Amino acid sequence: MIMHKSISFLAILLLGMLAVSCEKVIHVDLNDAEKRLVIEGVVGNQAGTSKVLVSQTKSFYDGNQFAGISGATVSVTDEDGMVTTFTETDAGMYEAPSLVGETGKTYSLLVQLGEQTYTAVSTMQQQAMMDTIYVQDDNLFGETRKVVQVQFTDPPGRGNGYRFVQYVNGRKDKEVFIYSDELIDGNTATISLRYDDDDDNTAIHSGDTIVIDMFCIEDRVYKYWFSLQQSARGNNWSTPANPVTNITGGALGYFSAQTFERKTMVAP
Amino acid sequence: MKQLMLLGAILLMVHIARAQERFTISGTITAQKTGETIIGATIKAGNTGTTSNEYGFFSLTLPAGSYELEISGVGMQTRKLKVVLNKDMSIPVTLQEASATLDSVTVSASRGRSISNPQMGIERLTVHEISNIPVLFGERDILKTIQLLPGIKSAGDGNSGFYVRGGAADQNLILLDEATVYNASHLLGFFSTFNSDAIKDITVYKGGMPAQYGGRLSSVLDIKMNDGNNKEYSVGGGIGLISAKINVEGPIQKDKSSFLVSARRTYADMFLKLSSDSTINDNTLYFYDLNAKLNYIIGEKDRIYLSGYFGRDVLGAGDLFGIDWGNSTATLRWNHLFSNKLFSNTSLIYSNYNYNISIRDGANNFDIFSQIRDWNLKQEFQWYLNSRNNLRFGLHSTYHIIRPGEVRPSGQSSINPLELQRRYAWENALYASNTWQASDRINVTYGLRVNAFSILGEGDYYAVNENGKVTDTFYYGRGDFVKTYINAEPRLAISYQFNATASVKASYVRNVQNLHLLSSSTTTSPTDKWVASTNIIKPEISDQFSLGYYKNLAGNRYELTTEAYYKTMQNQVDYRDGADIFTSDPIETQLLFGKGRAYGLEAQLKKKSGRLTGWISYTLSKTERKIDGINNNEWYNARQDRTHDISVVASYRLNHKWILSANWVFYTGDAVTFPAGKYQIDNETVYYYTERNGHRMPDYHRLDLGATWVFKPRKKYTSELTFSLYNAYGRENAFTINFRDSEDKPGTTEAVRVALFKFIPSVSYNFKF
Repeated sequence: MIMHKSISFLAILLLGMLAVSCEKVIHVDLNDAEKRLVIEGVVGNQAGTSKVLVSQTKSFYDGNQFAGISGATVSVTDEDGMVTTFTETDAGMYEAPSLVGETGKTYSLLVQLGEQTYTAVSTMQQQAMMDTIYVQDDNLFGETRKVVQVQFTDPPGRGNGYRFVQYVNGRKDKEVFIYSDELIDGNTATISLRYDDDDDNTAIHSGDTIVIDMFCIEDRVYKYWFSLQQSARGNNWSTPANPVTNITGGALGYFSAQTFERKTMVAP
Repeated sequence: MKQLMLLGAILLMVHIARAQERFTISGTITAQKTGETIIGATIKAGNTGTTSNEYGFFSLTLPAGSYELEISGVGMQTRKLKVVLNKDMSIPVTLQEASATLDSVTVSASRGRSISNPQMGIERLTVHEISNIPVLFGERDILKTIQLLPGIKSAGDGNSGFYVRGGAADQNLILLDEATVYNASHLLGFFSTFNSDAIKDITVYKGGMPAQYGGRLSSVLDIKMNDGNNKEYSVGGGIGLISAKINVEGPIQKDKSSFLVSARRTYADMFLKLSSDSTINDNTLYFYDLNAKLNYIIGEKDRIYLSGYFGRDVLGAGDLFGIDWGNSTATLRWNHLFSNKLFSNTSLIYSNYNYNISIRDGANNFDIFSQIRDWNLKQEFQWYLNSRNNLRFGLHSTYHIIRPGEVRPSGQSSINPLELQRRYAWENALYASNTWQASDRINVTYGLRVNAFSILGEGDYYAVNENGKVTDTFYYGRGDFVKTYINAEPRLAISYQFNATASVKASYVRNVQNLHLLSSSTTTSPTDKWVASTNIIKPEISDQFSLGYYKNLAGNRYELTTEAYYKTMQNQVDYRDGADIFTSDPIETQLLFGKGRAYGLEAQLKKKSGRLTGWISYTLSKTERKIDGINNNEWYNARQDRTHDISVVASYRLNHKWILSANWVFYTGDAVTFPAGKYQIDNETVYYYTERNGHRMPDYHRLDLGATWVFKPRKKYTSELTFSLYNAYGRENAFTINFRDSEDKPGTTEAVRVALFKFIPSVSYNFKF
């Protein structure tokens, strides 16, 4: 993660310094593909956090609204054989409010839609709690930007992944904050949630309410988010490709048994 | 009577024998003014001849008799030399520089390509030729100029790589005085590492590579440095918008030894320091190059050279983030004449490329370091056997040491140290080739290079299953042989000459490549990783067939060159989806393998002499890959596939003061992967992809203009002022096309084209005395 950030940093640094690029919105002819099913499945360690979203791909020039698919049969089986059925609460949204995942346990997802069956497996990781979050001033390229720092302790043993989501005044930051324990295994680490967007809308200002969500994920789910961030966010820097899914059956998306923690602060 | 007849017969036989006795003329061709050896000068004697080798040495064996030798070199006056050949002769030959008179239509400003020599797929440039071609930021640039030639494609604005005949950016062997240069560009490709003031000769082989070259599939870019003026001191230099350079050369002992030092540095970062904003003035952005050479003529038979290059790029954002990278090379060479027909060169070569990333984040302080280092011994013999056979054979032995990546925490840091295992390899090659004049019309070069690549311990090597998981680990001790790949590389070229102005040539070559460049992005970057072949990563192999027709027109004022090629490539490397080349897992877990093929047609019309010189080149081509695990195992366009590529280059000498120049390039877009749909993950737009490289970037075209004002020379002081305008009509060529949520129309997505350079002017002043 650090290497990749370094390289895009390098490119931005250079182009920023040379300051000679320009952007223009253009129309591109795109070949529309057959629709593909997307499954986003989560088993959380707190009540009300286990949800499965079932949707479909859309044409590039359609609107962005979530294309939820109704009528799927969704269930999660834990390693002891306990089956929890998810109920559809909204088009494409299937929930199991009472399902609480436990560290170390393996969960299997089963989604059936019409004739098709999709399965996936995920193991809940040990939760690493956020020790503290604080805001630091980052001085770069003539501007000062407030960046959130998160401190936590990684459990020893390779295979822990971390995902953070940042909300500023209620608006979710587009950036995918994804880290592995490759270089910080067993250490107390501080991660900078540095966002690349130079749009003032998502910049943090004094007095802003900041919410940070932390998810502890397993290796395969880390791989999913890493490949999503690298290759499927729409930039041509890395060869574009679909993220590496842990779902079998031909669906896009992922299934993750993950811990959840939320911390809130006000930027000084 | 019988005795008289016997005597007469004996005398006659002796006379005939004498007449058929052959003698050798040999020597070194140098420029009279500077003592620089002249590479590729032609020495004609009747209807036979030869050319001087890369050290200016020539050897020609002819029947006894009188000859008028015609010796010519690029930019030099042709010299006629009368010789009476009745014994072996060693003659030093000096050539005068041709004066640049406007009326001299016969003096060619550029090196003519040979009609008879079977070598095809070759482009040769002189520094003089490239000096007037306008390029970005006004810096004379070898890499940018060769991309105007047919078959050699640029990787785009702000991109350092180049592609030759459909090959990838790592398939080009770049040599500076025989040392491999691993990263030949500064600042992500805006400049090359070659300071043209120090360069004598540039040769590019796109196909038909002779047997003395090996190690990369698609091309050889052989760059030779000047030796250094051994007659008198000379200082030259220049200052431009972005960088300044200086060149000092001169004799240590007149006519016997000389030195050369060239240095270049950007000073753009000094403007950054002028800012009062502390977030700007502590940013760093510069590069420098240093070329140095010493040579010493020991005697008639021996000469030694020591040359070196050292360069570095440094970028930094305050203390927060910094990256620096660079090459260093050194070559020690000894030329020895065993006889007037046997020339030998022994070289000891060192080459090093490394980068260092430094991060001082507060809590995360660490450095990342990576390096590749070569130690090389090369021994070559050139045996000018007789007037019809010219042999070249030798041995090339290289020891590679790769340190793929080391993470070193610094001070207080939550980062653990990490050292990826070092990799060792010993590469040996034996080669032999002969250029044989089979008949008056037919010339053949046939040769063989045998390459043995041995992977050595100490280290762990692995077995990896088809899902990229390690299934077994094998440990090897220091010096153990893990595996040796032996490959034979035949090299064959034939030319058939119709007459003095037209010929047809055909060639077949096999090339093997054991070092592979892995990149995390679609553009080349200084942090790309060189990886040696392993028990899983096999040597890449290419077979290239080419056929060409060559014609000189209008009394050799125009050259028409047409070549067609077909190339197959095996063991090509690509990446799994979501691959991380910086992983600490074995690199083989991230890779996929397959094959490639490329074919095309190149045509070039070149005007070599007169007030207006230049060329038009056109390439029609296709390059595809088929990798297990990508694109449903079907053939797909390689990233660098580009159907049409046109370059028009012109230089016009208006009068004694002004030289005007222009180039226009046009190419259809590269193959690229665009979304086939989109969906939401965690409320964010994610793009959906189906086929690999199924779309095209928009067409690229651009006009560059240049003008050079040559000042009147005063005594020894010559100077000129060069103006250039890059992208003169400001076409917004797409550097990349990104997809994102629209800001103007929320709830929709849009495509955004990023263009880099429009209307970039530059001025530079160059002088010499």
